[in-house]
Amino acid sequence: MKLFSKYNRINISATILIFLVGSMAFYFVLQYVLIRQLDDTLWSEKQEVVDYVNSHHQLPEIQNTKNQWIDVVKINALLPNAFVRTIPLKIIDEQEYIRQLIFSVQANNQYYQYTVNKSEAETEDLLQLIILVTMAMIGLMLLFNYLINRKLVTNTWKPFYTTIDRIKDYAAHLQPLALSKEPIDEINLLNESINSMTERISKDYLALRSFTENASHEMQTPLAIIRSKVESLLQDAEGNKKTIQQLLAIEDASVRLSKLHQSLLLLTKLENRQFVLNEPVLLDAILKNKITERQELIDSKLIICNTNIESVIISFHQHLAEILVSNLLNNAIRYTPSGGNIQIELSKSNLIISNTAIGGALNTTQIFQRFYKEHSDNTSTGLGLAIVYEVCLAAGFVIEYKYQQQQHIFTINLSK
Amino acid sequence: MKLLIIEDEVLLNQTMVDFLTAAGYLCESVSTYIAALEKIELYDYDCIILDIMLPGGSGLDLLKILKKDRKTDGIIIISAKGALEDKIAGIEMGADDYLAKPFHLSELSVRIAAIIRRKSFHGQALIQIGNIQIDTQGKSVKINELLLELTQKEYQLLVFLTVNKNRIVSKNAIAQHLWGDDMDLADNYDFIYSHIKNLRKKIMALGGEDCIKSIYGEGYKLQAN
Repeated sequence: MKLFSKYNRINISATILIFLVGSMAFYFVLQYVLIRQLDDTLWSEKQEVVDYVNSHHQLPEIQNTKNQWIDVVKINALLPNAFVRTIPLKIIDEQEYIRQLIFSVQANNQYYQYTVNKSEAETEDLLQLIILVTMAMIGLMLLFNYLINRKLVTNTWKPFYTTIDRIKDYAAHLQPLALSKEPIDEINLLNESINSMTERISKDYLALRSFTENASHEMQTPLAIIRSKVESLLQDAEGNKKTIQQLLAIEDASVRLSKLHQSLLLLTKLENRQFVLNEPVLLDAILKNKITERQELIDSKLIICNTNIESVIISFHQHLAEILVSNLLNNAIRYTPSGGNIQIELSKSNLIISNTAIGGALNTTQIFQRFYKEHSDNTSTGLGLAIVYEVCLAAGFVIEYKYQQQQHIFTINLSK
Repeated sequence: MKLLIIEDEVLLNQTMVDFLTAAGYLCESVSTYIAALEKIELYDYDCIILDIMLPGGSGLDLLKILKKDRKTDGIIIISAKGALEDKIAGIEMGADDYLAKPFHLSELSVRIAAIIRRKSFHGQALIQIGNIQIDTQGKSVKINELLLELTQKEYQLLVFLTVNKNRIVSKNAIAQHLWGDDMDLADNYDFIYSHIKNLRKKIMALGGEDCIKSIYGEGYKLQAN
């Protein structure tokens, strides 16, 4: 729900409630006041009659009007006290209410009961009119309130929505937002806070980026020294099998270390979204090329490799596409038993690589985790599938692993 | 063949000098930007091995100066900045090759040899080793004037061993040279063995000298006088 709708809903319902309660109270107060006024005239009529009787010792002449009339009847005793009441009166087909004051007087030793009647119609008409005017005013007020609020809220919140839109595209480039100054304090405060926050994020991001780059540089140099020294020593060690083997073990370790380092660096860069994924990439060409490079390996393991490759161009990153394909192929070849099958399918929507499994299904929750290995195997870094997963994540592809009929099936959904 | 090695890491610099000197090159080395600038302005080299991050300046600036002065020196960048963008930038600025640290010295040696062969056309494209003659332009090999039929991998392997003659090269270095970085190296060790075996068989079949020695199955060496 939009803020404006929410605000309106509360505002309007509160206004209506207050006006309803208010109108009701107003109605009753007004009715009370008008009835009292009516009663006052009735009582003064009584006073006039009583005064007249007291001074003239006879009943006054009765003058009836349309709205006020007096009935006089003889009674045997005086009423204990005078009282007023409202009674309904049916006139033709209209129901009307009449206010009556009933009292008794004594004149010439005869008791009379006086009933002064006054129609409430006039009072009711007045009441109705007042209520009508009030209702109309309430209606108008609500309407104007709504219109003014709508205009005001829409205009006032425009900068807020601008800010929200800017934040939405923020993740794409991580540049400080530099939102403009606004006349409204709250929005200004929001913009300033977001500005300082995005500036800090950008600084942290740059710091992290330069840290990974520096770390990479600083680590690769000593590794380069180790490797070159080992290679030099190797030349002097000729004839000494044990030394050569040990030197080559050092070399192996240094090669593994630098590969590991490169893989972790790649993962960090992927997580930092440091790649721009908008190059047109011929995925079929890369796939065919990578398969050809590995053909020798595939043949040597007597693996039957079936391919069904459509021509596919996607907006992606050349290097990342190569890494993605290489890692999946390496994995498939490595874990297919001798004489097994590899099935590679590429269509506009999917890249599916499946291979004959040696064991059972892989652990679906863990295969894409870093350093997860099904078997202890020190020739693998345990990062291949983690990299595949991160590349897919960065590109917006969905990768799925399934185990069906002794086949490991990796499916990448290429539609973003 | 004169080389200039520009590398600020003294240990690495020294190892490269020793290795390349042993490989028959005349090496000069510097470790700062200023010293490098002086050398490249005064002398010509067949190939310059250029580190990017130098005290006092960037190797890429040296590259710009070399290109501006229309120097024909071959240039190979060696940098710890393995990022692909840096590789592309370096090549676009006119470097002949790019090698990310850490690298095998034997790989560096092959790349230098290839650059020098490309730069100088006067008969340099031919490598003679014993009675084996490799034509690096036509990518063909002859033994006693008879054409040696080799697969692409066998050819690459022969050139690699030839350039690094009389030195032990490890299986790792060969695998990286033949298959690059993105393949599982361990899987390829068996191929190296079979390629070497086939290469030796083919060379001997044409009466060539059996010059490739296995070093306890861990590395190989091409022996030449």
